[in-house]
Amino acid sequence: MTRVDIKRDLDALNKQIAAANRALFKSAGLYVINLMGSPGSGKTTLLENILPRLQDHVRTAVIEGDLATENDALRIRKTGVTALQINTNGGCHLDARMIENQLSRLDLAALDLLIIENVGNLVCPASFDLGEDLRMVLLSVPEGADKPVKYPTAFLNAQAVAITKTDLLPYLNVDLDEMKRYMAEINPKLVVFETALKGGVYEAERLVAYILEQVRQKKGK
Amino acid sequence: MHETALMQNLIATVLQVAEKHNAARVNRVVLSVGKLANVLPEALSFAFEALTQDGIMKGAELEIKHLPAVARCDSCGHEYQVDEWPLSCPACQSRSFVITGGEEVYLESIDCVEKSVHGEGSEG
Ligand SMILES: Nc1nc2c(ncn2[C@@H]2O[C@H](COP(=O)(O)OP(=O)(O)OP(=O)(O)O)[C@@H](O)[C@H]2O)c(=O)[nH]1
Ligand SMILES: [Mg+2]
Ligand SMILES: [Zn+2]
Repeated sequence: MTRVDIKRDLDALNKQIAAANRALFKSAGLYVINLMGSPGSGKTTLLENILPRLQDHVRTAVIEGDLATENDALRIRKTGVTALQINTNGGCHLDARMIENQLSRLDLAALDLLIIENVGNLVCPASFDLGEDLRMVLLSVPEGADKPVKYPTAFLNAQAVAITKTDLLPYLNVDLDEMKRYMAEINPKLVVFETALKGGVYEAERLVAYILEQVRQKKGK
Repeated sequence: MHETALMQNLIATVLQVAEKHNAARVNRVVLSVGKLANVLPEALSFAFEALTQDGIMKGAELEIKHLPAVARCDSCGHEYQVDEWPLSCPACQSRSFVITGGEEVYLESIDCVEKSVHGEGSEG
């Protein structure tokens, strides 16, 4: 019997493609956000509402990832923004290859910002680099304050978090400060935003300003 | 949740290596899995068993080694094992860190039996 030492990283291929994506985004001066969060945390709602405000300043496109349907891409297209839909057919996350396969369908040089909505899942997407500049996790108030410590990897690998549905705080037994405390326990460097749907208006000013600033900084380089 | 896909990838790699080494059988596969890799060892073992019902890997054993999560202190550079949150550097108490280990899934090694020159021991 022979022992063969292999020492092979099973994620090596994804890392390699993600690095190639990142290099491509860099040469196009394109800022890329990987948006992740549980099913129903409010990812598409956030995009529907902030895209028109972003689009006033930066040229934006969206890639939607879902197990099935074109529903989310259709919702995004109603805002006038280009949206491509990836169906993973049961796959629990997007990987770098799926993004690479979409890039030929976009004119990268004519864009400033690409937002990728990952498959609704607070676990698996965290393990797959897509080549993004910013990883943003959405955590909605009804999911409960302790999710950061229950699903640490999503928060560990992110730079920003948006706590969504804060309009529901008066109706739920969820402590916003406790939620933020748990986030800081896992990752003290997280930039935390809050969003709310109030009287038909989606409140996300700080988040929109932050994204625009990040896009400008990358363009300036 | 993607343990089956990961296992398919692993088995494809094992078969490639086995072929290169002229293996008649693979008896053992050693895999190391980091604490932050988001894969469940039980689900990996189950997928491995399901995917090695025939061929040269039939009946092969899977050993899973666990790798700890490791953080590096932003303030003093000390590397330390992550056991529970919140983290603070044992050397300087800083709360600022980057994760440097624990997300990896590595195929470490395989044990195989080579085909004899006379062709015995090969699949037939
Ligand atoms: N009250 C309230 N409801 C919201 C808010 N944001 C989203 N919702 C509702 O939450 C539900 C799910 O929102 P989506 O935007 O589809 O969630 P998603 O994260 O894109 O879901 P998947 O793509 O399926 O993972 C919808 O019924 C939204 O109207 C919010 O800020 N406040
Ligand atoms: Mg959605
Ligand atoms: Zn230190």
